[in-house]
Amino acid sequence: MIPYAVFLVLFVVLPLFVIISYAFTNGNGEVSFENFIHFFQNRKTIGTLLYSTAIAVLTTVFCLLLGYPVAYILAKGEIFREHSLLFLFVLPMWINFTLRITAMKEILTFFEGNLAYHPFFNTVFCMVYDFLPFMIQPLYNALTKLDDSMMEAAQDLGANRLQVILKVVLPLSIPGIVSGITMVFLPSMTNYVVLDLVYNSTYIMGSLIGSYFSAYDWHNGSVISLVLLLIICMITFISNRLTRFEPEPETKKRRTA
Amino acid sequence: MKKITGVFLLGLMATLLFSGCGKKEDNTIVLRVNSWEEYIDEGDWEEGDEIELADGRVIFSESGLVENFEEWFYETYGMKVRVEYSTFGTNEELYNQMTMGDTYDLVCPSEYMIMKLMAEGMLEPFSSDFYDVTVEENYYIKGVSPYIKSVFDDLSINDQPLSKYAAGYMWGTLGIVYNPEVVSAEDASHWNLLLSDQYSKRITIKDSVRDAFFAGSCILNEEIINSKSFLEDENYLNNLSELLNATDEKTVNAVEGILSEIKDNVYSFETDSGKADMVTGKVVANQQWSGDAVYTLDQAEEDGVELCYSAPEEGTNLWFDGWCMIRAGIAENRDKKIAAEAFINFISKPENVVRNMYYIGYTSVIAGGEDDTILQYIDWCYGAEDEEEEPLVEYPIGFFFGDEESDDYTITTVESQTRRQLFAQYPTKDVMEHCVVMDYFDPEENTRINRMWTNARCFDFGW
Repeated sequence: MIPYAVFLVLFVVLPLFVIISYAFTNGNGEVSFENFIHFFQNRKTIGTLLYSTAIAVLTTVFCLLLGYPVAYILAKGEIFREHSLLFLFVLPMWINFTLRITAMKEILTFFEGNLAYHPFFNTVFCMVYDFLPFMIQPLYNALTKLDDSMMEAAQDLGANRLQVILKVVLPLSIPGIVSGITMVFLPSMTNYVVLDLVYNSTYIMGSLIGSYFSAYDWHNGSVISLVLLLIICMITFISNRLTRFEPEPETKKRRTA
Repeated sequence: MKKITGVFLLGLMATLLFSGCGKKEDNTIVLRVNSWEEYIDEGDWEEGDEIELADGRVIFSESGLVENFEEWFYETYGMKVRVEYSTFGTNEELYNQMTMGDTYDLVCPSEYMIMKLMAEGMLEPFSSDFYDVTVEENYYIKGVSPYIKSVFDDLSINDQPLSKYAAGYMWGTLGIVYNPEVVSAEDASHWNLLLSDQYSKRITIKDSVRDAFFAGSCILNEEIINSKSFLEDENYLNNLSELLNATDEKTVNAVEGILSEIKDNVYSFETDSGKADMVTGKVVANQQWSGDAVYTLDQAEEDGVELCYSAPEEGTNLWFDGWCMIRAGIAENRDKKIAAEAFINFISKPENVVRNMYYIGYTSVIAGGEDDTILQYIDWCYGAEDEEEEPLVEYPIGFFFGDEESDDYTITTVESQTRRQLFAQYPTKDVMEHCVVMDYFDPEENTRINRMWTNARCFDFGW
């Protein structure tokens, strides 16, 4: 236990404390809310908050829409019940993402000619490409754990295929969906390397933090980190509630089955 | 490079090993030097890199300047010195390293950081011996370009001239690299190229606050700057410097507007991709420092693309990096100060300057004084003879050597070089006449400008 506690204190609690103390002080070391006021009163920074939220929401939605059928086919499809196929989908995760995006950038340039005309589309496209495996993996895990006999039971009781998916598979895979969303949403709000690589000159939250820190303005940088932390907390809170309510009675059934 | 890194690591290990045991008995001076990455000749030149000067001398480097300095110092001063050479990536990084407690004896930041360090009293002034032109070894003061010397004498912080605390190293201008097949020289000679519809989404600008601010400031003031009364004012250069160094609220807000427009008009804000994108033709013009411009032009030439460099008419930013001693590092140690000054002198020795310029590709502030090695080197790089296909021109660089009248400082070169590498390295006199140094921003200005920079880059909904 002690090593874990030491680890937690050193790498989680202390840094958090440092961030909080920077966020609530000004350059002279006095306690101040100036930084927060500056962030929330500036329509430009709010603009960037909304812009990165838009990118993150779209990325997550597309990842989910693309990832769910893939994960389902991989986990439940008749022909694809081989781990090697999942392997094919998860393989890109092991290649450095900057390399993948750089390659994708060239492909996009080939089709679009000049990337600078569609910065928003390119960003979302590359983010989806980048984060798709992170969505598929948890969905796949959730779906493989799902007992086939439950789907058969539903069919026996008269549900058609669509009903089976909507009423049985989907609710039971909510934990997977939730963890997939958390794995994709936040990184896509902050991963400004993707933006840099596709020549999107607009800042997102990550670039904002980066720009403050490289200008050695640790106070404002910390404020934005805290804002992001709040967003993480909110998402975790909501997803915890979702996972708690929906599938619990079902899992109990499964254990007895 | 690998080899150099290997040697460096070995050297580092050796220093680590020996630094522990030898301290008591020997009185080796340890000189802690911190400079930019790849900013000094590291030796290990390949065959074919020999520079053959007109007078028959051949300049070549095997072991790098740092090692040569240690030998030279022992031979000249009879004292042993060991250089601990480290590097930094940005001026801010250097500054942060020092405020976080790292101590160095000799550092090589850019002009604005030198001014900041000076203002904060962190620098040690040079000894009076350093300026003694009668001393054989004082290569710096004997060789520094009169033009650069006057810049260093004229800039002052707290009524002290910059030359008291800093010795120049490399210098250049801020300009635009452009593809002459697409962009006309006329278009490239104005900063508002960055806002042009014609080249929309085909231009890049540097992802750096100071460089972008300078360009924005030039565009903001272009009408004033190009007006006749402004150009003909006898205090033209002072007025220009004041105008482009203005950081009041109103100016900064106006520049923010211009930079937002630039953001939507350019291909990207780049840190490193500009060079490659110029060669592949994705972009047709690119804001660059003259030193990097030379490198870009060289690289493009290897790929068969001919690019040019321009220093816009509104004004260009004269930049330089300079060596300065850190008070806390020198700590009134006389020998250390001698070694630090000797280091500057050694790398300012004309042959060593040539080695550095060849290795780094930037332009040294050293003109050579009575020694004509530098001039011979420029001629070796750019000089041309009759049989070439292009017409030849006489390109004067006398302003740099402090003698605009004499014909001695003229390079006979092909016509295109007046817009290419030679021009980037040694701009013409009329470029130098609208060259201003950008001051450092004090903390308040700094916050304002950084905030402006962030705002210009944030997403604007337009409400």
